[in-house]
Amino acid sequence: MSASAKKRIMREYGECMTEKPAGMKINFDEQNMTKWEVLMDGPDGSAYAGGHFKLEIVFPNEYPFKPPVVSFRTKIYHPNVSNDDKGSMCLGLLRPDEWKPPNKVVAVLRLIQSLMVEPNIDDAIEPSIGNEYKENRKEFEKNAKDWVKRYAK
Amino acid sequence: MSAESINIITIDFPDPDHTETIDDSFDRLASNESFEFPVQNIQTLSSKGVERGDDPYGLLYIPALQTDECRDAEKDYVPKNATRLDNLPHDVQYALIAVAPWFSSTCMKEYFATARNEPVKAFIVYQPDPESTATPPETNDKAWAMNDGGSWQYSNQFPTYAVPGASGYLIASQMSNYSGNISTVPHGDSLKQLYPETDYVRLWAKVAADSGTQLPSLWVFLVIVLGLLILIIGATSLCMHVVQRRRRNALRRRVINGEVDLEALGVKRLTVPADYLSELPVFPYLGESDHVEKSMAQASTTADAETSPKGLPLSRRSSAPDAPKSYASAMFAQSTCPICLDDFEPKESQVRELPCRHIFHIDCIDPFLLNNSSLCPICKQSVLPPGYCPSKITNVMVRRERLISRRRAQNAAGHTHSPGNIVARLPGAYDSFRARVGGTTGGRRIFSAPSRTQSRPADIEMSSGTPPVPRAGITAAATTAPEIVAVPQPTQQNGVEECPEPPSDQPQQRREWARQRALALLGNRHGPPGGEEEEQVRSRWRRGLNKIFPGFR
Repeated sequence: MSASAKKRIMREYGECMTEKPAGMKINFDEQNMTKWEVLMDGPDGSAYAGGHFKLEIVFPNEYPFKPPVVSFRTKIYHPNVSNDDKGSMCLGLLRPDEWKPPNKVVAVLRLIQSLMVEPNIDDAIEPSIGNEYKENRKEFEKNAKDWVKRYAK
Repeated sequence: MSAESINIITIDFPDPDHTETIDDSFDRLASNESFEFPVQNIQTLSSKGVERGDDPYGLLYIPALQTDECRDAEKDYVPKNATRLDNLPHDVQYALIAVAPWFSSTCMKEYFATARNEPVKAFIVYQPDPESTATPPETNDKAWAMNDGGSWQYSNQFPTYAVPGASGYLIASQMSNYSGNISTVPHGDSLKQLYPETDYVRLWAKVAADSGTQLPSLWVFLVIVLGLLILIIGATSLCMHVVQRRRRNALRRRVINGEVDLEALGVKRLTVPADYLSELPVFPYLGESDHVEKSMAQASTTADAETSPKGLPLSRRSSAPDAPKSYASAMFAQSTCPICLDDFEPKESQVRELPCRHIFHIDCIDPFLLNNSSLCPICKQSVLPPGYCPSKITNVMVRRERLISRRRAQNAAGHTHSPGNIVARLPGAYDSFRARVGGTTGGRRIFSAPSRTQSRPADIEMSSGTPPVPRAGITAAATTAPEIVAVPQPTQQNGVEECPEPPSDQPQQRREWARQRALALLGNRHGPPGGEEEEQVRSRWRRGLNKIFPGFR
């Protein structure tokens, strides 16, 4: 990883520290700054309220020309998060062809928060959950809350 | 090498005991008073020891037998006083040709054993049937069986020829005529006047082997087949090379004419050559001046009028008619470098402006353009001039371009059908291919839900430092190449004509669509990033095959 990329990551971390986006905490390791660990609270009013979700953000070597890779380390019942041990997400500005260097990690984190409030059904990576969200909202919320109790407390 | 004929003549040569100088010279006797016989219908049993152009010759003699049984049996086939080794000069080793009847395999072994110890150049055998004039059977016939698996042919250092029985008996009887001294041979009286009495008059033979270029028929056949195969492969390879070369040239022409955008199609990831990069304008950042606000206003109102300040011939947008502006106007709203997020220092930071008017720190943008991509990181517009063509158009690029355009034509043709059907019809290979292509560049996605842009929360669009993207690119592209609207410009991110709408009615269809979509997304992330890497992954023989048959899949 080039020095400029490191500088950029440092800078972004600094911005995250000054802005202090609500409802999340960033664990930053100076030794391995390409891997961030984020603790995100389930947003109030969503099915995930009360849960604490661990996320991992990995910066590729080509950062900022390639998007960071975001994955949920805590299992979450969500149409946009893959339901496996990877917990990967790939949508919106996280997609390689839509990522632009001016985008920042803060934006990524905000995107995730907003997706927890309102999943993006059209980009669902788990279509069954997406369908449930669309057609049987009650069942979806029940399941999501169930998972929060089980995994995200 | 088979024998075509054996020519037997009668010769006179001096007795080495009675001459001063021993040489190999001999006199051939006149044909009217001697025995001359060209043997026909010869079967070659073994051609061992015969070199091309080295026809065996020698004095005819009958080799001695070792056992009494064979000697007794021989009497029926060989006249009593036929020429033996004893009837030839003893001290000089003349070249010899042995003659023997093949009446039993055991006695034949004795004949061969004797002949091996003598300077025999060839062995003539004849069949015991005195009436036979036909060509004797071939070497693997049971008439020549020795019950030793044919090893006699290898242990003999001389060739063996079989002649018909009639010829054999004739030769043998003549050998009995020419075995004594000069006065006893036919026409001895007249010969005595010509030659000294001590001279020998004997039969001499020369085998005329054929040219030897003739190979056994099976080998000839194999060689011909092999030759044909090589010829066909060569011709096919040549044809494919020619075709591929024409395709490459055609693609190059289309790239130069601006009909094809290699990078936007995802055919090839281009980079910007250093010498071209150095032509892109570099200037110190001037700060947010009045110009900036003015140009911002302009940019937001009439984006189409945005044009490159110097009417750069290299600019991708064909320029709108008006307004050459100062450099300062170019930096509309950019006060920070989008790559390192540092603010530009007025009058200090050296910035590079791309044809799309986005500016960056030189240190930030140059390595990216040199090594990674030729697209502006912000608007994905190509930095390269419209007719730019990479120096090398490879077969892989040709193949991808053809595949993509073919699929696109299919898609266009199938567009009247339900989009769900399109997705279902696409072969799996196509999905992965497109996924790969999508991953390489700022190409578009295969399956995109058009409503996604609306449903996306507003606050995730990063606006800080992102200037309004000029729309001129699209219109210019449409005017320069109106016939190729199917070729997307990178700015048309959401692939209007290609991305199928999610089928909304049937849940079954919709689920299938979503599954495909998810697979495509995953493919995006795992696919190999570029053409070169993919080439290396291919196995070696596959690459070799491709070298011989370019365009072969």
